[in-house]
Amino acid sequence: MVQARPKILIVEDDNKLSTALVSGIEGAGYDVSAASSAEEGFFLVHRLQPDLLLLDLTLPHRNGLDILQQIRKEGIDVRVLILTSHNTVEDRVAGLKTGADDYLGKPFSFPELLARIEALLRRILPPTPPQRISVGDLELDTKARIASRDSQKLELTAREFDLLLYLVENSGRTVSREMLARDIWQETSRYTPIDNVIDVQMARLRKKIDDPFPIKLLQTIRGIGFTLKEPQT
Amino acid sequence: MTIAARRSIRTRLTLWYVSVLALLLLTYAVIVFAFQYVTLTKQIFHDEVQDIATVEGLLYFDSHGDLQLRQDYYSRPQSHLLIDRMMEVRDLSGVVLYRSSTLRGSPLGGPIQPHEGDTSFNERILRLADGRHVFVISHVHGMNGRTLIIRLGYSLVPLRDRMWQFLIMLLIALPIALALAAFAGQAIAKRALKPLEEMTVRAEGISANNLHDRLAVANPTDELGNLAAVFNHLLQRLEQAFQQLHRFTADAAHELRTPLASLRTVGEVSIGTERTAEEYREAISSILEETEVLSKTIDSLLLLARAEVTQTGSNIQSFPIGVLLSEVLNLVAVLIEERQITVIREGDALGASIVRGDRGLLRVAVLNVIHNAVKFSPNNSIIRVAFERPALAPVIRLTIEDHGPGFSAGEHDRVFERFYRGSAEPVGSQNGTGLGLSITKLVVERMGGIVWFDKDFTAGARCTIELPAQQSTER
Repeated sequence: MVQARPKILIVEDDNKLSTALVSGIEGAGYDVSAASSAEEGFFLVHRLQPDLLLLDLTLPHRNGLDILQQIRKEGIDVRVLILTSHNTVEDRVAGLKTGADDYLGKPFSFPELLARIEALLRRILPPTPPQRISVGDLELDTKARIASRDSQKLELTAREFDLLLYLVENSGRTVSREMLARDIWQETSRYTPIDNVIDVQMARLRKKIDDPFPIKLLQTIRGIGFTLKEPQT
Repeated sequence: MTIAARRSIRTRLTLWYVSVLALLLLTYAVIVFAFQYVTLTKQIFHDEVQDIATVEGLLYFDSHGDLQLRQDYYSRPQSHLLIDRMMEVRDLSGVVLYRSSTLRGSPLGGPIQPHEGDTSFNERILRLADGRHVFVISHVHGMNGRTLIIRLGYSLVPLRDRMWQFLIMLLIALPIALALAAFAGQAIAKRALKPLEEMTVRAEGISANNLHDRLAVANPTDELGNLAAVFNHLLQRLEQAFQQLHRFTADAAHELRTPLASLRTVGEVSIGTERTAEEYREAISSILEETEVLSKTIDSLLLLARAEVTQTGSNIQSFPIGVLLSEVLNLVAVLIEERQITVIREGDALGASIVRGDRGLLRVAVLNVIHNAVKFSPNNSIIRVAFERPALAPVIRLTIEDHGPGFSAGEHDRVFERFYRGSAEPVGSQNGTGLGLSITKLVVERMGGIVWFDKDFTAGARCTIELPAQQSTER
């Protein structure tokens, strides 16, 4: 591969979380470094010139927003994704106003973090999805909103099609219930008991796209969410 | 004034009191002084008029034709304000016929005025050549066929001395009186403010640890007693809120402990002995599920906290309740379909009624009730969702009726308690956080409404949400 792997710097004072993040993000194919304080983080931003900064807001001695402010003042070109347990709308607005590109509240689901990282690193707006995308023998026509498998047309409701499209676009990655609630159901409140709505919807989708066929594409990852992919041969 | 403003109430009261008193006393003194002066001057005038009558009887022409005053008769008025009589007698041409020795040769007044002493006494104050002020009256007197003008006066020095003494006395007495008044005022103010001071000391001693303490109310009908009563009422509400918070914190800790315990146990057990990858995966999945429960509980707690303070928040808006209900039903439509539940909607026209509040919170509130109804409904059953408007009340009622197991006696109110879970088991899905209905209750009550489960409905559960509403403008 000619292109260098994107560099990600994690500034997080909780050791456990930091270690897990490094291991997980590295596993997803990025070049990851970690800092445990604001000063160290700021130093590494200069030295490593990362493409993306994962920034915790509650750091010892200095607030994460301080570094963010300084980074933006110096005009350093780095995408910033804030990770914090301060989760109110006001906190979000404050973070985004200071110059963050995205904001993720703790506790977050790891698949969601990966999805956000990828979206931020794309730098330009995601291209409009191609008219035809497929996973294995599952094919979606995004314009005509028709899905077929093994050349047989699948009868899907509008919501089921949206759900399937989302899974296909994120094919190979795990999609959490939070991501689905927000992106498919447009539920902004974290507290909306729709997990079983999602589960039932997913079961119905599975019935239509997997049950009649020998190869199962849609898998439930217990405790995390769902993934759509061709099983390893 | 700026200094007084910074002083204590007691000092300010006293200052005001003394200032007003000083002003009053000063006015009083001026009036008394003037009155005294006028009275005494009148007295002198009267005495002098009498004296002139006396003197007229004592005047005589001697053998040489000179005018003389008989000296063998005590003729001074009985007043210590009139000491030395000064007298001058002239004829009409102005020739001085008699001049008393007390004048020491200086004339008593100038040339004769027309009609002097004729129609009136022409009382006036003159200044003698030696500087003495004299109160003078004139009188025309006929004697031995001659017309005489008698001018008679007394020195004003005794009167002025007396007035001066009076003034000094006033000037000495006034500050003394004011000092006494200030002292008394200070004491009275202190006495009046004493209950306030006691209340302050008492209130200072009240903290979160002894919120049950109350202020002593000496006299509940007076202003301070009223204040104490109001304060006590405030303390009572604070205490209740504190107790509620305390109970809630304890409950929350307990609720969080349960998933934590299973997290820990699953972790400890799986690390204890060598296991297959499949078993490890199973354990980790179980741990992830438990963290999900923990997250949900914490999110619900935060939502409750948000609902607690949302009454004047910026999220308040007016919206038709029917649209919100449709949204919620649409959200759970797939569950309803899956379980082959039939939803019967009634009174949909009333859905255009406008309610006011935090739309996001009300949506969660309604969703909780409907989700519960779906959760506990048996397959193939009916859920009735109806809008009603009670006559003569500016409210809208949303009734959600399922045919599930309902509640046992005594549960109808308890289901709204935080972390309370009913005895009935939901159909085929996991348990909630135990906070759903308490969130509903809080949100509805914060919007000025009420929510209850009908105790008389035994075929299932019937929940009614009643909210203040405006008639839709469209109808």
